[in-house]
Amino acid sequence: MEQQVTVAIIEDHPVVTEGVASWIRSDPGQRVQLAHTGRDLTGLRAGPRPAADVIILDLELSGELVTAQIPGLVAAGYRVVAFSGHSDPAIVMETLDNGAHAYVSKEEGSEHLVEAVLAAAADRPYVTRSQARAMLSDQRPDRPTLSQQEQQALLLWFQGMSKASVGRRMSITENTVRQYISRARAKYAATGRTAPSKDALLARAIEDGVIKPGEILPYQSFARAEAHPPSLGAPGQLPAQDNQTPPRELPPSESAHGTGCEAGHHGVISSRTVAPTASRIGGGLS
Amino acid sequence: MLSGRYQRAFTVGVVFLVAGWHLAGGGGQLLQHRSAYGSFAFQGALWLIMALAISAGSVLVLRGTITWRSAWAVAIIALAASTASAAASPAAHMLADNWAWGSAGWTGVLVLVRRRFGELAVFLAAEALATLGVQAWDGLSRTGLAGFLAVLAWSTGGQVAVAAGVRALDIAAGQAAAAARSEEAARERAATAAVIQEARHDRWLALQESAVPLVAELAAGTADPGDPRLRNRCAVQAARLRRLLAEGDDVASSLVHELHASADVAERRGIAVDIETAGLLPPVPALTRRVITDAAIAILTAAHSQARITLAVVTGGVAVSFVADTGAVVLLPAGGQGVAIEQQQDAGMLWAEARWNSR
Repeated sequence: MEQQVTVAIIEDHPVVTEGVASWIRSDPGQRVQLAHTGRDLTGLRAGPRPAADVIILDLELSGELVTAQIPGLVAAGYRVVAFSGHSDPAIVMETLDNGAHAYVSKEEGSEHLVEAVLAAAADRPYVTRSQARAMLSDQRPDRPTLSQQEQQALLLWFQGMSKASVGRRMSITENTVRQYISRARAKYAATGRTAPSKDALLARAIEDGVIKPGEILPYQSFARAEAHPPSLGAPGQLPAQDNQTPPRELPPSESAHGTGCEAGHHGVISSRTVAPTASRIGGGLS
Repeated sequence: MLSGRYQRAFTVGVVFLVAGWHLAGGGGQLLQHRSAYGSFAFQGALWLIMALAISAGSVLVLRGTITWRSAWAVAIIALAASTASAAASPAAHMLADNWAWGSAGWTGVLVLVRRRFGELAVFLAAEALATLGVQAWDGLSRTGLAGFLAVLAWSTGGQVAVAAGVRALDIAAGQAAAAARSEEAARERAATAAVIQEARHDRWLALQESAVPLVAELAAGTADPGDPRLRNRCAVQAARLRRLLAEGDDVASSLVHELHASADVAERRGIAVDIETAGLLPPVPALTRRVITDAAIAILTAAHSQARITLAVVTGGVAVSFVADTGAVVLLPAGGQGVAIEQQQDAGMLWAEARWNSR
């Protein structure tokens, strides 16, 4: 039998904590075990080992947004599923960029929270409708390029169709719909700030065949973000980033870039080793 | 328009100035030196021609019907009359007796002041050169040249100053009008905000009547959460609350407002309606909005208990979609106004999309 996923609920309203706990209890497979509840993050920092595999984190604790705490939690080895009353796309994007695995709005909780926790524990993408909305609304210049199919699957999912209906609409299987949506999510994991959780998600996506290393255009952003430590002192630190951008359709086997992702692949077990590896390779490209 | 009123006032000022100059300045000089001219009748006739040119120019500028051709026609008549007058004046004290140079210059200001500054400059230069030419023909002495320069500075200088002044006042009036316009726009925005605020307050009051008693019943334990009717009431109130909270983001879009209004109507029938937008919606024309809201009404009317409306910015336009438990295909409007409508029925759930192509 598969081992249970342990979860911590960080939520300042006891009634919500109770509600989440009841969803966990009513999961037919009992796949999730509640290991810790807290009204703030202090209890999590006590022990030397993570108190749970996954944290369900209310983004607003005692009236303050805690999105900035996510990188610290992720660095400590937690996977974070944000659970919030906010649905502003900008907040969703910031949360994901900071390394949260998934974003579940409070309306989506009963349907999606347990599944999102399980997906996070396995480093697999999980995209709620509020997350799809944020991805569709994204106008930042450094956003990843989504294919037309990925965009259409995200749009139909956001509109409220079931994945099976999305498949019928697009004349593809439900599995392919999941693949498109997961691939869009993986592309987001490859952009923005560095986080071990994002590396792990990407590596798993590659392992699962959701995405090919060559499809992750801005993977070198790890190198860009990591270019600051003096030990990396590569000559290409400051010059134009264009030098570091590998050609988009480079076949994985022939590019150092691809190798970087393979390194990420092996990093599944110890995901935190991925970023430095990738950055070294990124540095080598420049 | 405000700037229009100011501009007309400046025009009237210039008309008075030019007419006054020709009557008092030019006419006075003509009468004072009447014995000095070879033919007073000829000079008088030229003065009358100039007066007619000024009258015609005044009518044109006051009516606002002056064109490039008519402006220059008046200016050239004035220039010709002035040159003829100078040529017919006694050579020795031509400048002293000359009534026409000033009048012609002011006529030029009258008709050319609102054209490009270069045109007035060309006219005044031509006028000065014509007078200088007559002087040279008569034999230009050093004192004659000095006199010419003195009159040039005094007369043409004044004309340029007035033209520049009118231009500056025109610009100031334009700015004042723009400021008034933006103030008006700000007032309009404030009024709109007040209307929205009021509508929101009304909805808040409505919540007091619908959601608050429900919560009270639940808290008191008199309502049974197992009752499907109660659960439906809860879903409707929750959807209404979510819409009320989300509306702040969407104030700018009339389409979203109209869909909210349709949702409010459906809600009274017990349908829980969610509305969400993705991306910054462009303005949608009124007739296009009508097609989309007609589709919304048809779907919301057919829905049994729940509906989700989304608006997403897509390449080239907006995709408005509806997912509702209608149980069957809904007869939808045919589209039009750049809107294409599609629907798909799947296990009792209807999906429909009205896609507006803005190009």
